[in-house]
Parts: sequence; C-alpha cells; structure tokens
Amino acid sequence: MSAYNRNTIIVGLAAALLVGAVVSYFASGNPDGLEKTQEDLGAADAAHQGLQAPPVAFQEYSLTWLGEGFWGNAAAGVFGSLLVMALLLGLGRLLRHKRPEADAGDSSAMTS
Amino acid sequence: MHIASGFLSPPVWGAMAAVSGAAMAGSLAVAGRRLDERKVPLMGVMGAFIFAAQMVNFPILPGTSGHLGGGFLLGILLGAPLGIIVMASILVVQSLVFQDGGIEALGANIFCMGVIPCLLGAAVRRLWMRPKVGLFADVVTAIAGIVGVLAGATVVILLLSWSASLPGSVSLGHALGVMNFVHLFIGIVEGLVSVAVVRFVLTMRREAVFGVGAKEAIG
Repeated sequence: MSAYNRNTIIVGLAAALLVGAVVSYFASGNPDGLEKTQEDLGAADAAHQGLQAPPVAFQEYSLTWLGEGFWGNAAAGVFGSLLVMALLLGLGRLLRHKRPEADAGDSSAMTS
Repeated sequence: MHIASGFLSPPVWGAMAAVSGAAMAGSLAVAGRRLDERKVPLMGVMGAFIFAAQMVNFPILPGTSGHLGGGFLLGILLGAPLGIIVMASILVVQSLVFQDGGIEALGANIFCMGVIPCLLGAAVRRLWMRPKVGLFADVVTAIAGIVGVLAGATVVILLLSWSASLPGSVSLGHALGVMNFVHLFIGIVEGLVSVAVVRFVLTMRREAVFGVGAKEAIG
C-alpha cells in the first residue's frame, strides 16, 4: 500500500474511531427527529408486520456484554466503523478489478 | 431518520426496495470506472466516519435530538454512485447488527438517507472541482444540504402516510409540517458539518477527491 493510501486510512479511521467510540458517548439520548415526530403525531406504534434483526451481540449501540456504559458504546462504535470499512474496502477492491482497462484514464484526466 | 420495523406496509416497502435496488444496481454497474486506487481507501474510511458520526445524536429542540445523515457529504466527496454504495453499506450494517431501521424498511431508508441526499451532494460536487473554490460553494452547499434533509424527511412522511402509519386524525399537511420543522434544524447542522468536512478534505486530499481543477465532472 502506498504511503498516500496508508495515511488516508490512518487519519480517516482515527477520526471515525474518535467520533464513534468517544464523542458518541456524549450523544443525546432523546428521540431523534423522526421518532419525536411520530410520538407527537401519536403514530409511535408499529401497525404492520415487520422484520427486525435480533440483538445478537449489540443492543442498539451497546455491546450487550459490556452494558450501556462507556465501554459498551465504544465497542459498538469501533466494531461498526471497522465492519463498514472492511465491507467497503472489500467491495471497492472487487469493483476495481472489474474496471475496464479502456476507462483507466480517470486519474490522468484529473491532472490535465 | 431511520424508519423502524413495522411502520411500512408491504406494498410501500416492496416498492421502495425495488427503487433502491435499481439505484444500487446502477451504482454498482458504473462504480468500477470511478474507482482509482486512491478512491478505494477513501470510500472505506468515509463509510466508517459516517457510521460513527451517525452515532452522535446532538440535542436540537427540547426533548429532541438529531444526527447527521451523511449521504449528502458522500455525494459531494464521491459522486452519487459511490456515495449510494457507501450509504447503503452503512444502513445495512445498522439494520442487521444494531437494530437501527427495520430490515424490511431498508429500501426506503436507503432511498431517503442515501439516494436523495447523494444526488443532491453530487449536484453541487462540481462547484468543488473548480480551480478556485470561493464562498459561493460553501453557501450553495450548505443550502443544498438542508434541502437534502428536508426532501428525505418529506418522503419518509409520505411513505408512512401511504402505509396508513399516521393516525386518521392527523392531516398529511400537519405531519409534513411537524417533520420538516424538526428536520430544518437537523438540516442546518447537516449542511454546516458537510461544508466543514468538505473544506477539510479539500485541504488534505484535493487531488484524489476532486481532481486539481478538473474540468469534466467525474461525479
């Protein structure tokens, strides 16, 4: 991996983990805009058959084994951020492999 | 703004799954052409960052919080197709692992928080690809960010209404008013944070993200 890409990942991931693991601990526990609107309109009860994921390891945004304190929240932030990144790096690599050679001029077009 | 499980009727969530599925298929089809080797890591860390940022609910009105959507920002930084792919990945993880958003509502949530704001972000992207980026870009971007949030909020209410998930005593106009009033404040934060992050990226990764004064819009 080039130093450029390594730095992108280090700085970007550091920002993500700081926000997801630390800043998010101080997040407001109030309902968000949609939840509050549904409450205010008297529309907070689900009326249809839905499909909700079971809380296997995480209850909302806390690791169940660690509870709802700082560490449970931090674990959720770290795990979720890394999972999203891993998913996208894998997907990105896969899609790039399919990239037609004829279109490989993207980066040179940028500098022209 | 994630629609939870059980609020959309099968025809509504089915239709939204089809619409977002088509948007995803189109995005994946053109994504390869837009990915150079520096874009892949950018896509990964931006996804991680937006996931994390969505965990930060900030207080707005009394008893109410809001959080960043992020789709708008992704649309600016990556263009619509890559932005939609990143946003969909985040929403899938949130729904499957963190019970945030119903699984059957994924299509609707991808549309309201992904497709709509990503397209708006992509629309202002070329302002940031100019050799000189002035205050004009900041102002237009902040306003477009607000519009993106309000457009998504409006569609959410329409979907809930079509699903008969709003009480009969509540008029559609009133519901739209309440929803959009709250989301105006969330949208202002979304717009300002997006501008701040884009400015940061412009300083740090201008060439990889926007090209240096590239004339043709890659977004």
